[in-house]
Amino acid sequence: MTCPRCLLQLQTLGLLGRSAARCVGLLRTPSSGQPSEPQVLRHFHPSPGSAKSRSVPAEFDRESHKKRNKSLITHDDLFEQVAQEAKTKAMFNKVVDIFTKRDIRRRGHVEFIYAALRKMPEFGVERDLTVYNKLLDVFPKEVFVPRNFIQRMFNHYPRQQECAVQLLEQMENYGIMPNMTTKVLLVQIFGEKSHPMRKYQRIMYWFPKFKHINPFPIPQKLPEDPVDLARFCLNRIANDLDAKVTVYQMACTEVTESGEEVTLPYIVGIQSPSQMELLTKHNPSRPVFVEGPFPLWLRKKCVYYYILRADPPLPNEKVEEPYDPERCLDYPLQLDFDLGRDLGDDESFDVEDLDEGPVFAICMTNQGDEATLNQWISGLQQSNPVLGQVPTLFRLDAGPQELDMLADIKSCHNHRPESELLKEDWLPEEEPEVMGDEELRRSQRMK
Amino acid sequence: MMNIKRLAVFSKSVRFEKRLLTARHAKIRELEVQRRSFKTQSRTLAYAKDLFLGQINKTEVFPYPEIGNEELEEINQLVAPVEKFFNEEVDSAKIDHEAKIPAETLNGLKELGLFGIMIPEEFGGLGLSNTMYARLAEIISLDGSIAVTLAAHQAIGLKGILIAGSEAQKQKYLPKLASGEHIAAFCLTEPGSGSDAASIQTRATLSEDRKHFLLNGTKIWISNGGFADIMTVFARTEVTVDGVKKDKISAFIVERAFGGITSGKPEDKLGIRGSNTCEVSFDNAPVPVENVLGEIGGGFKIAMNILNSGRFSMGSSSAGMIKKLIELTSEYAATRKQFNKSLSEFGMIQEKFAVMALNAFVMESMAYLTAGMMDRPGLADSSVEAAMVKVFSSEGGWICVSEALQVLGGLGYTKNYPYERYVRDCRILPIFEGTNEILRMYIALTGMQYAGKVLTAQIKEMKKGNIGLALGMMGKKLKSSFGVSVDLGLIGKDGVVHPSLAESAKKLEQNVSLFGSTVESLLYRFGKTIVDEQLILKRVADLVINLYAMTAVLSRASRSISIGLRNHDYEVLLANTFCAEAFFKNNYKMTQLQKHSPENNDANMKKIAKALLENRAYICSHPLERTY
Repeated sequence: MTCPRCLLQLQTLGLLGRSAARCVGLLRTPSSGQPSEPQVLRHFHPSPGSAKSRSVPAEFDRESHKKRNKSLITHDDLFEQVAQEAKTKAMFNKVVDIFTKRDIRRRGHVEFIYAALRKMPEFGVERDLTVYNKLLDVFPKEVFVPRNFIQRMFNHYPRQQECAVQLLEQMENYGIMPNMTTKVLLVQIFGEKSHPMRKYQRIMYWFPKFKHINPFPIPQKLPEDPVDLARFCLNRIANDLDAKVTVYQMACTEVTESGEEVTLPYIVGIQSPSQMELLTKHNPSRPVFVEGPFPLWLRKKCVYYYILRADPPLPNEKVEEPYDPERCLDYPLQLDFDLGRDLGDDESFDVEDLDEGPVFAICMTNQGDEATLNQWISGLQQSNPVLGQVPTLFRLDAGPQELDMLADIKSCHNHRPESELLKEDWLPEEEPEVMGDEELRRSQRMK
Repeated sequence: MMNIKRLAVFSKSVRFEKRLLTARHAKIRELEVQRRSFKTQSRTLAYAKDLFLGQINKTEVFPYPEIGNEELEEINQLVAPVEKFFNEEVDSAKIDHEAKIPAETLNGLKELGLFGIMIPEEFGGLGLSNTMYARLAEIISLDGSIAVTLAAHQAIGLKGILIAGSEAQKQKYLPKLASGEHIAAFCLTEPGSGSDAASIQTRATLSEDRKHFLLNGTKIWISNGGFADIMTVFARTEVTVDGVKKDKISAFIVERAFGGITSGKPEDKLGIRGSNTCEVSFDNAPVPVENVLGEIGGGFKIAMNILNSGRFSMGSSSAGMIKKLIELTSEYAATRKQFNKSLSEFGMIQEKFAVMALNAFVMESMAYLTAGMMDRPGLADSSVEAAMVKVFSSEGGWICVSEALQVLGGLGYTKNYPYERYVRDCRILPIFEGTNEILRMYIALTGMQYAGKVLTAQIKEMKKGNIGLALGMMGKKLKSSFGVSVDLGLIGKDGVVHPSLAESAKKLEQNVSLFGSTVESLLYRFGKTIVDEQLILKRVADLVINLYAMTAVLSRASRSISIGLRNHDYEVLLANTFCAEAFFKNNYKMTQLQKHSPENNDANMKKIAKALLENRAYICSHPLERTY
């Protein structure tokens, strides 16, 4: 069993220093020249998942030749060297190419893959399926496929299998669904019933089921324009098909007469017809409140919104519309006898109602001061004339600005630990990231 | 309680009472003032109410109403020229195509007196009873556009003057309306108000000299709105009730000549294209105070009475149409050959004709039974029955028309044949004069209200745990489940149904008795919250419609056998077939109405609808969609 592998090792040792292409040629000659050997030496298959063009710049090639002489090179170094230039997908692919080309034996591929997995977020390829497939392709093919029942029974090449499982795990954490290429690669590398294959099957079982589990999906790429983003957020909060978004003011810079530059914030608001109706019914002697800012998390982005609300009406203020027998022209709207619903048919739950008071409108702006919000209220007044008579109180918390700044500084200092990053995105494609207000503040402070 | 509408009917059918008319009217008005709000049970309901209690009030519906020989002769004399006119002078295809009834056709209708069928003779009308009106409607319905134009004119347009107008108003308006010189329209519907009287926006304000009301607002979907000279308009007026100012609906007779009235462009419709439907706007239209119909603030009752009284004729109209269609299609089925067999030999074609015959027979029976009940002297309120006739015949009519078209296959779909026009025209029936959904609510809730009044005490007693009562109920249920037949007196010693229909009568009795206990258990379970259980009410309405239909066919067929009408054996066949079919349908529906019935899918249906209504779209993924 091990003899061809020993032979391979010997040969490569002897050939150290020569180019990889020649190495393959040399490898082939002795094996073909020894027909008496019962087991034919297997060569490495190029896989369908490998990249088509492998044009490696000359400098990298040279560099890698030099590096090869040092036997205990850490693969992180390789990435870090490249990272100094640019952290892109192309660069990442190049590094992988260099590794695969450098040594036909792919010595240290497990370490290399672990290193690559760690570096993926840095290169911004952590959500790229082709890159994962390319990494999988680093594994030599057919070598780790168990060939008898004992191998199958025990953990054959545990380190390699674990490594592949780790790779799939990372895919899973980022919500990347493997494809057919991944499967073909896994079968080629580890065989049909290996641990990575099982992992693959489990992913393929659960991911499709979870793909649409979030009824309120957030797109992977949020709109860039803050007004569009606000529009999206407001629709998301209101969740009312009737609600209408109004842009009260676009962000712009104006030069005043005195030559000062004034930046006007954008103000985007949403209101539904039923909210307008509630507002017209509001008792004008009781004030309405502008409150905020309240945070809304969209994946890794936090935005703030403000609401216009009122206190719940006092119990004596609630007027129930009396039954008007002359209301419906065609049939009685109420029956005239004294008989309630039977207990056995009362399917309503006993819910304690807490009246929270109506919310009349929501808005978003990038400058949460009173003047800006006042502008929003006056914009609202055009469609809700009642607001002219109702006293409006501003109950604003400390704006989000300092919080933002704090978060920015901290996030510059330390990246989030890997585990936290990974856990966040366990769902395929979309996941809810709306947390409670308190929770958010706490998590930010922790950072 | 007295009622103006009943009285109007009463006065028409019983001619010799004409002298008393004026005196009566005055009295009625007094009574009306006292009555503040409309209640469904304010008049005695005729027949259907007893079904809700599991009883058959056989005196109301047996024997089948007849008209006198003189009247029959009179109506036959009337029918013949009308029939001739419709067959020879009316070009329905042209009316449909040009979306206009030609002036000469309208003149012909006027000459025949069809614009004043129900206006008393003293005002220049034909002064016909409801029954005779129904007979004429059979023929008029051969052209949908004309039928709707005439119905808008006299079934609703001028009905207000007939039932609530003062003598002076009648003298002033009815003669010209009867002759067709003036055409009437009924203006109630508004952009924001269908059945909801509270959202009527048109307002009538008293002018400073207190001589005029100024009318402002817009009414939509007004049949004849483009050319009507006299309109019954409903508008909000300010009334002081107990010292509090309130808005109430009032009815006005508005002449186009008053000014301030504009009609919109005629609507382009799917069917009844020859009838004129448009928007009518009032812009400070001055209406003299003497043109108020009835009392100020009493418009609601008038509107309701007009709507309730106009519906019964749809049964005979639909039946007339189906009878015509049977003639046309059977001709085709007999001559068209396939595989050396005429179409009429194929079972599936035969079935279609059977369906048409059954429907026509049932509609006719229901329509004339109801018309006869309305013509009977007395003050019984048969508005529920009229609504049942309307629901049954509009839906049956739709089925029959589409089956008739199906007999012809592709030919029926072309404009070379009238079938597609009938299909289009027929589609309005379930919509206008109160949609069938709303009428079902009316039918079911009116009955439930009556049954609730009667049964409240008993049910309360039961809920308190009166063992004797509960045991009695149990015994009744056990008895019926063991197949002990119910005897409601339709057959046997004092029987009213002919013995050859005994089996069907038994089925009706069994159904009625089970229906009574179903209603009782529904009231026990839901009480007055049944108003919100629309799917249950729909079944209740369907059940009671079927029961009324069964009654009508049994009554009619019994009479036919007894007096030996031609082909009465065929009527027996139709009656038995219909009763057998309705019996099973009823049993199934009543099973669905039981608690936790596995046949009942209502909860699921509601869920299905709710999910998609929340999203306002069909929410299933496309079958070709993939997730990996």
